[in-house]
Amino acid sequence: MNVRFKEVSKRFGDSVVVDQLDLVADDGEFVVLLGPSGCGKTTTLRMLAGLEDATSGNIFIGEDRVNDVPTQKRDIAMVFQNYALYPHMTISENIAYPLKVRKIERGEIDRRVNRVAELLEIGALLKRRPRELSGGERQRVALARAIIREPRVYLMDEPLSNLDAKLRVQMRGELKRLQHELGTTTIYVTHDQAEAMTLAHRVAVMRAGKLQQFDAPMTIYNRPANRFVAEFVGSPSMNFIEGRVDHSARKFASDAFTLDLDESHLARLSGCDRITLGIRPEHIEVSTTEHPDTLAAIVHVTELMGNETIVFLRTGGQKIIARASAEFRAEFESRVFVKFETDRMDFFDPDSGLRV
Amino acid sequence: MNETPNTNKADPRRRGLAGAKMSRAFKYILLGVALLAAIAPVYWMVTISLKTEVDQFASPPRWFHFAPTLEHYYDAFFTRSFAKYLTTSLTVAGLSTICAVTLGTLAAYGLARFKLRGKLDQRLSLWILSTRMFPPIVTAVPLFLMMRDLRLLNTIGSLVIVYTALNLPFVVWMMRGFFRELPRELEEAAMVDGDSRLGALFRVILPLVTPGLAATAVFCLIVSWNEFLLALVMTQTDASMTLPVGIAGRVTQYEIKWGVMSAAGVVAMFPILAFAMAVQRYLVRGLSLGAVKG
Repeated sequence: MNVRFKEVSKRFGDSVVVDQLDLVADDGEFVVLLGPSGCGKTTTLRMLAGLEDATSGNIFIGEDRVNDVPTQKRDIAMVFQNYALYPHMTISENIAYPLKVRKIERGEIDRRVNRVAELLEIGALLKRRPRELSGGERQRVALARAIIREPRVYLMDEPLSNLDAKLRVQMRGELKRLQHELGTTTIYVTHDQAEAMTLAHRVAVMRAGKLQQFDAPMTIYNRPANRFVAEFVGSPSMNFIEGRVDHSARKFASDAFTLDLDESHLARLSGCDRITLGIRPEHIEVSTTEHPDTLAAIVHVTELMGNETIVFLRTGGQKIIARASAEFRAEFESRVFVKFETDRMDFFDPDSGLRV
Repeated sequence: MNETPNTNKADPRRRGLAGAKMSRAFKYILLGVALLAAIAPVYWMVTISLKTEVDQFASPPRWFHFAPTLEHYYDAFFTRSFAKYLTTSLTVAGLSTICAVTLGTLAAYGLARFKLRGKLDQRLSLWILSTRMFPPIVTAVPLFLMMRDLRLLNTIGSLVIVYTALNLPFVVWMMRGFFRELPRELEEAAMVDGDSRLGALFRVILPLVTPGLAATAVFCLIVSWNEFLLALVMTQTDASMTLPVGIAGRVTQYEIKWGVMSAAGVVAMFPILAFAMAVQRYLVRGLSLGAVKG
């Protein structure tokens, strides 16, 4: 079942939390709403759940406009950030709740509870109560309660954020697998760009209530629509260097350094004067020996990650972050040389932030 | 000079142990005094109810040695109307508690969960509380006139209405606090799972606030059970009189029926005691711990 937001806005008093949102999640699609806290992503999800009313605009699940449909009639399932398990019920009663309120017959309930419990490997916990469970187990129970029915849409509000790092990565994989097998449209809210990249078919990046970009993860990463998306997605973050285009000298000139531009850059940048250059850390080569077309830089600090080394540099007044191989070593304040992969450079309008 | 710091080092530990013993002993003494203060009047009342009138006025008082008799109980509950007062009291206290807790809980849920325009929910809560900010006697005369016009004087109904009104603000504020402690996500989850709001309230929220509900009900029952002033104003007939009014009625111009009053007093203690014991296990908090978060 697809989900559509048509010019949906939400205001709390004077503050606009969601601003004219247009978004379509296709049937069976895994859509992640990504953004910093306060960007309106959770409010968007809650409007879809019917826990908040949209101030204006239309929300559709399939062909039905659901704005005026109460939560319990929307045929959805939701996993909450804090799981919201019913503390006075056993795990089995928790999972069975959506069936019980629909007055499904006892034997059928038991069969289905056992089936999802098996699927999520929580069969041994069925007689316990939520307070006796670990965070990871509670998370599974919350998932089980969501998938025991076959709702039209799954809604997930940061379901992994209360887990420790290792468990989060594990559950992330299982969640992706589960969604693939169930094939149910899923709207997932997170502020963690790694979750968004790994889980989503498409990522909707939001900021201050506005949709910034809605695309496949690799498109978001490689062709960010604006500076905000470029900065928010990717770790360490993209480097941004303010400067000017010198069309006659065919150069990009910042306070710190100048770079030669090729024909394709100049074509893109025709008519531009001031410009922000963006380049991801992995597209900057660092070496201790000087080559043609390299810039001299000073090492501020290096972070050994095991599989790679993150190098924090400065050249002129400009700070730059680069990714180097795991073997790369350099002393504090030592002089190194960097080379930008010019075909991977992005340019942004310094005023609007839009990609050029 | 060298030894002083050494003893100083050793001392705090010893003082700690001795101090702990001292403070524990002190705690028990304090508890003993409090217990004595609480139990003594009850003991006094119970013994008076069992003494003959001669023993009641013996000087020095006969604390333990007297010939026990049940004559005052017989007098109170068989020759006089105390049995009737008792059933009236039970009915009034029970009904008004049920009404106050039901209405108050629903109101409290609404006030705890719904935001109204212009902070009306908060203003409404405060206004409800404000009805308890003046002494009840202020309302006695208007209530009397209202009940007279409704032809409800000398009826159990009048007392049920008045006590419900008396307890409502308390129930609303208590229950509002308990509801607010519960995470909103619980009923949101229930509604997403397909339950109505009322269904979520009864199946998810109320079971979690049972301890609060029990405590609130005990308090309402005690207030209604012990209320004297308004009952005195509203009811004058034997058929509609509650125990406190009935007991006080034994203080007459010519004599004070200590034995009958004490016997009725002893009996009056039991319903509340029994109810409190019955709900005691619900009074223990902590059921909702571990509801959320990992």
